[in-house]
Parts: sequence; C-alpha cells; structure tokens
Amino acid sequence: MSTKIPDQLLYTEDHEWISIEGDIATIGITDFAQSSLGDIVFVELPELGTILESGGSFGVVESIKSVSDLYTPLSGEVIDKNEDVEATPEQINSDVYGAWLIKVRVSDTKEFETLLKASEYKAFCEGN
Amino acid sequence: MTNLKTSLYEEHVKLGAKILPFAGFDMPIQYENLKKEVEAVRNKVGVFDVSHMGEFLLSGPEALKAIDYIVPNDIKNAENLKAIYSPLIREDGTIIDDLIVYKMSADKIFICVNASNIDKDFTFFQEQVKAFDVNFQNVSESYSLLAIQGKESFETLKKTSIGKELNDISYFSIQILKEAQLPHFAARTGYTGEDGFEIFADHASILNLWKELLELGVEPCGLGARDVLRLEVGFPLYGHELSDEVTPLDSGLKWTIKFDKENFIGKKFLESYNPKYKLVKLILDKGIPRQGYPVFDDAGNEVGVVTSGTMSVSLAKGIAYARVDIKTKAEVFHIDIRGKKYEAILTKKPFVSGGHK
Repeated sequence: MSTKIPDQLLYTEDHEWISIEGDIATIGITDFAQSSLGDIVFVELPELGTILESGGSFGVVESIKSVSDLYTPLSGEVIDKNEDVEATPEQINSDVYGAWLIKVRVSDTKEFETLLKASEYKAFCEGN
Repeated sequence: MTNLKTSLYEEHVKLGAKILPFAGFDMPIQYENLKKEVEAVRNKVGVFDVSHMGEFLLSGPEALKAIDYIVPNDIKNAENLKAIYSPLIREDGTIIDDLIVYKMSADKIFICVNASNIDKDFTFFQEQVKAFDVNFQNVSESYSLLAIQGKESFETLKKTSIGKELNDISYFSIQILKEAQLPHFAARTGYTGEDGFEIFADHASILNLWKELLELGVEPCGLGARDVLRLEVGFPLYGHELSDEVTPLDSGLKWTIKFDKENFIGKKFLESYNPKYKLVKLILDKGIPRQGYPVFDDAGNEVGVVTSGTMSVSLAKGIAYARVDIKTKAEVFHIDIRGKKYEAILTKKPFVSGGHK
C-alpha cells in the first residue's frame, strides 16, 4: 500500500500532519490514517478557544465501525476549526491533506522540534 | 499465544485485507472498502469467510432426544434437513451461546456455534450428553465455512463446482452436497437478512469455492460488513445483545423458548422468571452510538446501555440495539456520546428489511 507523505509537512507517530506558519499550526490526519480508518462518517472537533496540551485528545474521527481519538502533538489555543469537514467528513478520504481539522496558536514553539520530518514519518510507517 | 488462521488466510492477505484478531483467529475485517462490501450484499452478492465458527457433530440413536433436551427450541418436531436457530442456556436461564442446529436425521445432528464460545459450549455439551446414547465430537478443525449472501447468491453458486447440484431449497433448509461421515452441505441461512447460503465443506473444497466465486466477480466481504449487515436487520450477536448475564426472555428470544416441550435445560427457571430487560432498536439523526454508551429515557433517567451500535450504511444514520429496563415505556431515548446527549428514536421494525426468502 503506497501512502502519500508530502515533503513540506511535519508529522506525528499518531498519524497526524502539521503545517506551520509562525506560531500557528494547522493539524490534519495523514493519508495512512484515513486509509486505515476507511470511510470517515463523523468528525468531532473542539470549540474555538479550547486550550490543548500536547499529547491530549482534541476530538474524534469515526468510521462506520470505529472511533479514533485525535491527539495534538502541540500545546496551545484552538483558534480555528474546519466546519466544512465537520459537515462533510468524507472530504478527509477524498482530500486528506486539504481537509485540515484545527488551527492552534502554539504556546511553546520548541514543541515543533518533537515533530517528524516527512522522511522520518515515512520510515516510521514502513517500520510498522 | 498466536492466533489461529482459517484455511483462507493467505487469500485474505493476497487481497490486502485488513486483518485483526477476532475470537482467537486472525480474521479479515474488511478488504478494500466496507461500504462497498455492505452494498454488494444488499444489492448483488458477497462472500464471507466464516471458517472460524465452530462445528459439533452429535450422532447415535439418542442424538435427537439429546439435542431436544439440551436446547430450548423445538428440534424434535422439525423436519429432517432443516436448520433451527436456538440459544443454548443454563439451568438458571442465562445464555451460554446462540447456535444453529442442522437436523440431518434423527441420529445425526450438526451444530454450528460462535467461534468465541467453542470451548465453553463444547464443555457444556460434553457434560449434558453423558446421559444419552450418543457420540459427540468437536469437528471444527475439519470444516471450513463460506457464507454467500445476496439476491444473486443462488445463481452464482450454481456456476461453481460444489454448487452445480444445488437446489432452490427454502429458507432455513439444508441440502447435503457430499455424503460422508463429515458431510459437505449447504444451508439457506446467513447473518445478513438477505437471501443466501452457507456452505460447510473441507478446507480444499472451500478454498476452491472461494477462488471460483471471486473469479465470478463476487465481492469478498469482511467481518466489519457482516456486523453492519446483521445489525441493520436486527439480528442479535453473542457478546453484545446476548451474554452470560441475561436470559433469552431479556433479549427478544422468547420465540425460541418452547415451553410446551416436555423438558429442556432451563425450562423450570424460565417458567417463573420475570424478565428484567428488553432490547430496543434505536435510530439517531445525529451521532453514532457504540457498545457501552449509556441510554436515558425522555425524563433523563438512565435506563440502559447500547449493546451494539454503528453507522448504518443503508440508512446513513446511527443505529443501535440497547438493553433497557423492561419497565420503561419511552419511545424517545437519549444516548450519551462522549458527554453529549443525542436523541434516539425507538423503532419496532428492523432498520433495514433484508430480502431473504
């Protein structure tokens, strides 16, 4: 199974992708994640203003048969969420790197160092 | 301990199935796409490897007498070559398993049980059959089992080597395909609500049938699709709606308890038992219910728990079976999904009406 891993993004071992602009991180789930979940039928995202702590859960994605927690690798405040994806969660299957979930104003940009580069994430996926 | 594998395991791997442990077996949960698998069965035909299920053979002069005492449904008065669904219960009424009894003849009874309960059932049966002049064997390792389900199942099976001689038998009937001590046979049964057959045969014949069916364009379907299909038509599942903790009268299985039989295990207890629970079917406009979520009545009292829940592929809505207090009269319930309550409406009919004959 070949999985798309764009070079310009950062990743986590929980199969999330992150793109960074200044102290704002945009978070979604990876191609690997959407493909293992199958048809995504429900997404629950946090309210704006929610304070996240790295490692904590910020929502769930549900496929027909399963519920999976979404984990944030970064601490900070939720400043935006993708309401389109909440309304039509199947976007995650069809356009996984376009279907971002939340934007976080990161409280400690040092946490960026914990994220995986595309090559590291690729090695991680292959190792599993 | 490593998991067991069915004789088709390598075929599932070749197809790129998502394989997960289930009841001690490494089983295909889904192939390419669960939704496509469900739709294939509802609209055309799909095939499931259910070789993990257990098979017992009860034979000898008192085979019929024994099975009619051991299970609460009526086997004695059923015709030969019929399949009969029944729970298996203890003296205290609690459910050990649910199973299908295949009445080959008065001295040859075949039993198919849930994979997760093979050992538990076998131990129970072994103890019970001591009082009868019978042979009792666990023949699970000699059989593989395919379920071919969907409106095109009969015509498709007719094109296979094992199914050439298959007749248009009625629902819950069986046909012997190969006479032997361990016969090959077809039963017009399944767990999807659609017309379909289950084929019991040796490993080599089943492997061959699987390959032929795939060449004929039959959709390989995993246990994920099977679970959605059975819940959509309201079939209970052991470990969910049925368990060691409840009786058939708490679980919508009153129709399987034949109190007019002279005797059966659990009869005495159930005759004076007042059920504590009932199963209700609930449908949600928003939210997907899952097993274990608490259920409240319209006044906000917690009255039960979701036993099975999923997104229905056919309805594109959340559906659930819930075990609730028998006294509740509510028709509108609320299910707590991660701290938020979602409205769930009682429905008396199956969520989806299957097309079985």
